[in-house]
Amino acid sequence: MISLQLKNSLKFPVTAKCISPDALQDKSLEEIEKLKIWVGNKKKELRELFKIEIRGSEREVIHVYGDLTKVRGIGAEMTMGELTIHGNTGMHLGEEMKGGKIIVYGNTGDWTGSMMKNGTIEIYGNTGNYLGAPYRGLDKGMSGGKIIVHGNVKNEAGAYMQNGIIRVYGSAGQFAGLRMKDGTIYIQKKCGERVGANMRGGKIIVQGFLKSVLPTFTIEDLRDKVKIENEEIIKEPFYLFLGDLAEDGKGKLYISKKKNPHLNFYEKFLEGEKIE
Amino acid sequence: MMEVFKAVTCPVCACLCDDLEVTVDKGKIVDVKNGCAFSKSKLLNYNGKQRVLKPLIRKGNDFAEVSYDEAVKQAAKLLTEANYPLFYGWSMTSCEAIRVGIELAEEIGGVIDTTSTICHGPSTLGIQDVGLVSSTLGQVRHRADLIIYWGSNPLIAHPRHMERYTVFSKGRFQEKRKLVVVDVRETETAKKADLFIRIEPNKDFEVLQALRVLIRDDELDVEKVAGIPVATLEKLAEMMVECKFGALFFGSGLTMTEGKNRNVDAAISLIRDLNRITKFIIMPMRGHFNVTGADMVFTWQTGFPYAVDFSMGYPRYNPGETSAIDILLRQESDAALVVASDPVATLPRKAAEHLVKNPLIVVDPHMSATAKLADIVLPSTFVGIEAKGTAYRMDNVPLPLKKIVEPPTGILSDEDILSKILFEVRRLKENAS
Amino acid sequence: MELIIRNGFVFDPLNKVEGEKMDVFVKDGKIVEKVDECKAKVIDASGMMVLPGGVDLHCHIAGSEVNAGRLLRPEDHFKNFERKTRVTRSGSGHSVPSTFTTGYRYARMGYTTIMNPAMPPLEAKHTHDELNDTPMVDKGSYTLLTDWWFILECLENGKIEECVRYAAWILKATKGYAIKIVNPGGIEAWGFGRNVQSLDDPVPYFNVTPREIIRALCKVNNWLGLPHTIHLHTNNLGKPGNYITTLETMKCVEDLALKDKPVIHITHCQFSSFKGSNWRNLRSGAEEIARYVNNHSHVTLDMGQVIFTNTTTMTADAPFQFTLHQLTGNKWMNHDVETETSSGIVPFRYKRKNFVHAMQWSIGLELALLVDNPWKIFLTTDHPNAGPFTAYPRIISWLVSRKARESTFKKISLKAQRKSLLPSITRELTLYEITIMTRSGQAKVLGLKNKGHLGVGADADVAIYNLNPEAIDPSKDYKEVRKAFRNAVYTIKNGEIVVKNGEITKHVNGATLWVNLQTSEQKLFNEKLKEKFRDYWTVEYENYAVEENRLKISNPINVEAKI
Repeated sequence: MISLQLKNSLKFPVTAKCISPDALQDKSLEEIEKLKIWVGNKKKELRELFKIEIRGSEREVIHVYGDLTKVRGIGAEMTMGELTIHGNTGMHLGEEMKGGKIIVYGNTGDWTGSMMKNGTIEIYGNTGNYLGAPYRGLDKGMSGGKIIVHGNVKNEAGAYMQNGIIRVYGSAGQFAGLRMKDGTIYIQKKCGERVGANMRGGKIIVQGFLKSVLPTFTIEDLRDKVKIENEEIIKEPFYLFLGDLAEDGKGKLYISKKKNPHLNFYEKFLEGEKIE
Repeated sequence: MMEVFKAVTCPVCACLCDDLEVTVDKGKIVDVKNGCAFSKSKLLNYNGKQRVLKPLIRKGNDFAEVSYDEAVKQAAKLLTEANYPLFYGWSMTSCEAIRVGIELAEEIGGVIDTTSTICHGPSTLGIQDVGLVSSTLGQVRHRADLIIYWGSNPLIAHPRHMERYTVFSKGRFQEKRKLVVVDVRETETAKKADLFIRIEPNKDFEVLQALRVLIRDDELDVEKVAGIPVATLEKLAEMMVECKFGALFFGSGLTMTEGKNRNVDAAISLIRDLNRITKFIIMPMRGHFNVTGADMVFTWQTGFPYAVDFSMGYPRYNPGETSAIDILLRQESDAALVVASDPVATLPRKAAEHLVKNPLIVVDPHMSATAKLADIVLPSTFVGIEAKGTAYRMDNVPLPLKKIVEPPTGILSDEDILSKILFEVRRLKENAS
Repeated sequence: MELIIRNGFVFDPLNKVEGEKMDVFVKDGKIVEKVDECKAKVIDASGMMVLPGGVDLHCHIAGSEVNAGRLLRPEDHFKNFERKTRVTRSGSGHSVPSTFTTGYRYARMGYTTIMNPAMPPLEAKHTHDELNDTPMVDKGSYTLLTDWWFILECLENGKIEECVRYAAWILKATKGYAIKIVNPGGIEAWGFGRNVQSLDDPVPYFNVTPREIIRALCKVNNWLGLPHTIHLHTNNLGKPGNYITTLETMKCVEDLALKDKPVIHITHCQFSSFKGSNWRNLRSGAEEIARYVNNHSHVTLDMGQVIFTNTTTMTADAPFQFTLHQLTGNKWMNHDVETETSSGIVPFRYKRKNFVHAMQWSIGLELALLVDNPWKIFLTTDHPNAGPFTAYPRIISWLVSRKARESTFKKISLKAQRKSLLPSITRELTLYEITIMTRSGQAKVLGLKNKGHLGVGADADVAIYNLNPEAIDPSKDYKEVRKAFRNAVYTIKNGEIVVKNGEITKHVNGATLWVNLQTSEQKLFNEKLKEKFRDYWTVEYENYAVEENRLKISNPINVEAKI
């Protein structure tokens, strides 16, 4: 196990893609300590920021301690191993991750799991905007793997999602599932508006309150249950909307009936059709 | 001796009207023809009491007058020592000055950003997601038979836009045009419209998306969108589909309300979709006279239009991460150089507070709100009045800014001041290594 | 500064030097007969090839359209960047690099002169400002003259002489190097979202046809005595069956030929050599095009070679770009320029396994190999339309080696493999022919008298590559060839060493080349133009032209026009 303990609190942005099992597993303590890292516009060595220790032989397991809010890109492109962060972390955590697991006992910044391809990220606190979303100008976001957020997410979670699953046990901001093509987003509590905007495919489940559905979604059905993944089923009634019609989309938007009585006016379109 | 300067480009808004006739008498502007009220006001009154005539360095609560050399030396020192300095502003200076500014930010390893960050930055993000179907303004003047202003009030904000380029202009193929205004309140422009649609605040996205469906003759499940009966939107959709050449102009009513870049994204998508049926263009109503030029120079020199971070020795761009406002709100910068803008007056309070807490250098002709709180003030000329240069109109057309009168004795241009700082920075770095 | 390039294998086709071992002398930025051997710096080029600096007559590297492409595509740049060094500026971009980076990358490949082929007149200042920031190379820009209303109106009224005057005025006002024609008639039609379909399809609202526009501008070009020919992007570009249009286009100016001098350059010909009636039955028209070119001396071509990569398409042919957007669903930029022209941009990925893309790849190479005379076809990718210019070394390897072609060929779409003409072509170009296609021929057709050769008096723009033509067989050792052309051992610009071992050692600016037309008194004409100005444009006459002092280093080519 490799452990990194932040020495002093940070003021300037730090980019630390080198903190990942792939980058550290073959290196000696000395090599790790001498890894170059940008702090603002000054180049420093990893040891100037962290107290680094190696214990035992499990080199693909990393624990990081301290408030890493300013540290960006931890675990980027990692393919294996386990990275645990005991504290908050900054943006781009697990960006383009291909495998392994990241666990955060704290909050994470924007672009967590950006464009991730596989692996798992589990966050026990809140996360920022653009969860799993792509870099500016790209049209492919998360394409596999799993992100679990026990707290809340901000805007554009799962934007341009191609596949994989995002589970949010708290609430979500606006534009969840923007332009998604496939995959699943589950939001347990309150969801911001414009959910599913421009989605073409995939599935979004909102079990909490949603103020309104975009006018470019059309009601399809009232279902008595919905499946999240594998055999995991929520047994309560859900409205099923299809959209986004603006993109000629065939995305599925499941909205809890119980939490959203103000949407019952849509039911008139279902009259005479099968309602289970 | 009276002298009349013709074809003067107006250094106020991004309309960049270049047909001003400016009369100068004994080195002073005495008359401005063809300009709007803003234009006249600036050209006749620019040289006011707030003018700074000597470089200033803070001494406690006061400023002490110093030479340019001294101020430049101090500024270069502060910037070179900084770990994450910010170079902010750029929308009211020439492209020539911006070029030097970028070189300076690169040399030091700082973040350089323009006022786009608090204005049309979301437009750029929208463009980067879906593109932009646009044209120069003359194309609209010659061909458009339908003009739409969305969240934009040109009669007040861009007073000659309608006269020169749209509703009241004359073109080769079109003289009569329909005007549609979409806004949250009945603006002066809205009063002139053939169709005014007053939507609920922060609902632009829904309306634009709904229109994308309606122009395809598809129907909606709802009866109203943003408080507007769908039948009214169908009327607008029909106007859009049936025109020969439509043009939609949008302002901060779209870019700075809920949804931001996604509103722009939806607007551009709507116009793009319309091009399968007819000809339609869309254009952001940029504000300051050279905010477009700043985008241009940034893009050709670094590959990115604003919010460029050189801290790692090469350009990185990611608004939200590398944008000035976010850096200030996260309290990450430790020095700043502000050129040709007044962030203390325009940024959110918390961002401005962090800006002034750290070493702050201001290059400005005026004692602006920001300059008042600065550590070093470097007075500069007014580009387009006292110095020449290049600016870009909102439709990307470059125009020359002229020098009409002499600046106050000894006052340097933004370009010259920045070049001096750059020279000094290089000297300091050379000495250090 | 004086230089002796000692003992290299010199390739200088314009002076008929083919790999002779000899010394090249440089003084004050020029090639000279001899230098003071005591003072001169000596470069030991033994075992290396010494070539004139590379010339590229068609690469979109500057101006509003290119910059819009940059702005549109942060995803093209964020992982492809260049760090600042002690001598160089930083930058970014794979297919649409920022300006400094563009200059450095060309210089590293030994290129020293490049031409930006599409300058919208109203935005010419922008183009020149970017060229000012494109270091290391001499550069120029072609002024877009289609579909400028003044030209269309002159043609409507049959006033060719007036047309000549307008062209002269706008070339000078924009500091242009040549006349660029793009989808003539189609661009004006695009003003209302339409296009033209053939050479004889009338332009909406103007009583002229594409054929008339091409012929008229070809006459104008001859009349003005411009150093380059008209530079033409055909109608129907990128459409199956368009090789017919291309043949007709070349034929339509046959009678305007001036002895053996070419009068028309068909650019990125690959995109205009499609046979078939739809994408499924797309075939190569390279044989027919090449046969015509082999039998006529009034036309030159450049390849527009496709590279399998993610790139950005950008042309003034906005209706074509719209089609490309519809075809791919990719994001799309359009920018029409009042009274003058238009442009469009769409990101594009050429895939090996896509039948159409693979056919395009094949067609480009077929053209280059089937046109017998290397002075008639030049190596380009229509950067960045068919791929970024950084792929030139790869193209060279395909041209000199059948083995290299086969290695790529076996990875492309099987259907394309069955339909491609490539397996039937055995020709392998020599390094001498490559020299013609990548510099000497291009300099010649551009009318650049001091470029593309190493004769006494030539500009001392030299590229030295680590390739021993006596020791290697390009056909077998194509990887060596590719490697050598990727990074010049030395690039010498204006007599100064600017690149060593593929690294930039000195940042130099390079000059802007433009045609300074000397015409008779134009006063009356200018007054007339001035009167019309406000009706046609939204800027003032006084603010339209590019002043010479805007060019960082101005290099006017003086031409006496017979008008």
